[in-house]
Amino acid sequence: MRNWFKSGAPWIWLTAGSVSISLIAVLGVMAMIAWRGLSFFWPAAIHEFEVRANDGSIQVIIGEIYDSEEIPMERLRESGVALDGYDEETLTRVLLKIGNREHVPLDFMWVMEPQIVRDETPADLAVVERSKDGNFYGYPMHLLEHGDVVTSSDFRAELQQRIERAVALNQQAIKLQQREIGAINYQLNRLRLERRSLDLKGQLTSTEIARIEAAEQQLRDDYKVLEQQLFAFRDQANRDALVVRDMRGIEVTLPMYRVLDVTFPNDMGLLSKIGHFFKQIGKFVTEDPREANTEGGVFPAIFGTVFMVLLMSVLVTPFGVVAAIYLHEYAGKNALTRLIRIAVINLAGVPSIVYGVFGLGFFVYMVGGTLDQIFYPEGLPSPTFGTPGVMWSAITLAILTLPVVIVSTEEGLSRIPSTLREGSLALGATKAETLWRIILPMASPAIMTGLILAVARAAGEVAPLMLVGVVKSAPMLPVDGNFPYFHLDRKFMHLGFHIYDVGFQSPNVEAARPLVYATSFLLVTVIVGLNLTAIGVRNHLREKYRSLEH
Amino acid sequence: MISVTPSNLQAEALDLANLSAEQTTLEIRNLNLHYGSAQALYDISMKIPKNRVTAFIGPSGCGKSTLLRCINRMNDLVEICKVSGEILLHDKNIYDKDVDAAALRRQVGMVFQRPNPFPKSIYENVVYGMRLQGVNDRRTLDEVVERSLKGAALWDEVKDRLNASAFGLSGGQQQRLVIARAIAIEPEVLLLDEPTSALDPISTLTIEELITELKSQYTVVIVTHNMQQAARVSDQTAFMYMGKLIEYADTNTLFTTPDKKQTEDYITGRYG
Repeated sequence: MRNWFKSGAPWIWLTAGSVSISLIAVLGVMAMIAWRGLSFFWPAAIHEFEVRANDGSIQVIIGEIYDSEEIPMERLRESGVALDGYDEETLTRVLLKIGNREHVPLDFMWVMEPQIVRDETPADLAVVERSKDGNFYGYPMHLLEHGDVVTSSDFRAELQQRIERAVALNQQAIKLQQREIGAINYQLNRLRLERRSLDLKGQLTSTEIARIEAAEQQLRDDYKVLEQQLFAFRDQANRDALVVRDMRGIEVTLPMYRVLDVTFPNDMGLLSKIGHFFKQIGKFVTEDPREANTEGGVFPAIFGTVFMVLLMSVLVTPFGVVAAIYLHEYAGKNALTRLIRIAVINLAGVPSIVYGVFGLGFFVYMVGGTLDQIFYPEGLPSPTFGTPGVMWSAITLAILTLPVVIVSTEEGLSRIPSTLREGSLALGATKAETLWRIILPMASPAIMTGLILAVARAAGEVAPLMLVGVVKSAPMLPVDGNFPYFHLDRKFMHLGFHIYDVGFQSPNVEAARPLVYATSFLLVTVIVGLNLTAIGVRNHLREKYRSLEH
Repeated sequence: MISVTPSNLQAEALDLANLSAEQTTLEIRNLNLHYGSAQALYDISMKIPKNRVTAFIGPSGCGKSTLLRCINRMNDLVEICKVSGEILLHDKNIYDKDVDAAALRRQVGMVFQRPNPFPKSIYENVVYGMRLQGVNDRRTLDEVVERSLKGAALWDEVKDRLNASAFGLSGGQQQRLVIARAIAIEPEVLLLDEPTSALDPISTLTIEELITELKSQYTVVIVTHNMQQAARVSDQTAFMYMGKLIEYADTNTLFTTPDKKQTEDYITGRYG
């Protein structure tokens, strides 16, 4: 035993054990998020149940099984639910998503397993994905065109074709609304601001008024034309309708322009299920959210997260590198420098929400408010930069991550062998030339390491962003086709905040739960993606400057 | 006892105390150097003749490298280092206020103990000094690369892979590349700080042959802890001990009939 201790074996077991536990923890988190998030996109079977109530009446329920749990009978009895002829200690109840939100009081329903008398998954059952009111479950009966029944040999093919038509029309309408009509609104707003600006300067002459009004009139005329086109699209999309028999046995007419997709999951083979799975993931990643973020995709949040992090990187890298160069190369090696260095390192320990408060108070209100008064007086009292926005978020996070970049850059600078500096100086280079030509390129892997750490921290940060720029739903992306293309004053959506919003602020918690997992998984994927990119760049640089590694 | 055979490559002896102005490249006058409160060099005076190889020998810590680094003001980088006295390069004191250290180092090149190529291609390493001076014309640079690499006896080995990384070269090749880099900007003086101490015997031999060739164009000053090397390559040798210049004479004289007891003790291996 003593020899065993002396040999160091327990120590090896202890260290290896710690590594395994960390590994299991990381993999466990990833696996759990991935499983719960991704299973949301898998086409679930739709069940048709017959449930016998206590009074003997039979009710038909159609829906997806969402969750199930064991509960003690005791608790049920206490809450006044009685089950006749059932004496087990516990019973299983299942949570069903029954959809059809506009026709039932709640689109989720608990059903006691012993009460189920029949459970079938008929191949004709369909789930209708809609742009409003969530999913609809039922048996598609027939199609209507202008209110008349369409007869067709292959119902499903006909249905698919008409859905595609409606979706295409809807997309055209949305594109028209967002691009052309959006551009006109943007220009009208600019004209209004221009007029106000001239007015404030006292240069609003009658010729200027005439010019602006003419331009406005032109835009309004354009708008009318586009509006007609939009109405035309909508009318066309309104042509068809789908009649579906729901679980109450009532035939409900669903207008086709609200229908996004109709699938028959009970009738799908494995391949088509896999296809559907990836299609759903694709939609989740590329579409805008609907229904107060509980449905649809998260594209604006992905875009906002990545855009903000990139903007932050662009801001923090030069600042951090320059500061590190001064601290390491030029500042005197004295107590003051050491004090500054300690202060910088400690900045990394300040809670992030404090940076949020600082950002709101200093950047948004002070700097932004001043910018508005100097450069955008025509917009006041509605603020341009004096309100939370993507630029302030990026700057706040840049300050938050500045210490990380400074510390790792400094470390990189001190790792460069002094013989290389001397070699450069001995060839007649000045200190600055040596820095630019030799030292900084060689320190670039360390700078990238700093950036990787900064990105990892910034992409996951939510608390400060809630104060300086993130919103639940942003009508416009911070980048679009209207000059000047980058709108840094706009608010943006963020995956981290989206998780919080969907999970805690959502009107429909049950519906939102899988979205929380899916969004979390996506956030982790985005962060890992950003990091892997940076790590790839770093390894490339490291290989290039793998120098006198002694 | 180490047997030292002076080589026949050496030039004839000069009267080092009374060199004429045109024979002299460098003159050190009453040089004292302090690191903070510790004195490292004591009142050094000597003349270094043109187009010859001068060696500094002595035990570790005797100040020979420090003295060498004074000649191109490399010691300026050490904050606590204070120099008094003069080093004249053609009658101009390099420690005068109006002398630009970077310009001085273009005239006085230096090669260090360990090969220190830059993380660039062989080509870019050689033209580094030229680019610093703003020379970017491809044809000029190509000529400089060829001339310098030939001068450093490296051309035949690397002419087909000029754009390969300098890190791919062997230690001896790297050291010759560093010498090529130094002579690319055509300095007058070449300072070699133990240039072969990190190399294998064969590479050492190549470098030593190179040094004797270099003296036709440059004034070479070499620091070495290897006495055979000093005997082989240098024309005159300075023996230093504890920061003082003990004896300075032409190499044959110093190794065969040293004036001072300390010198004799050192070269016969009694200490050091």
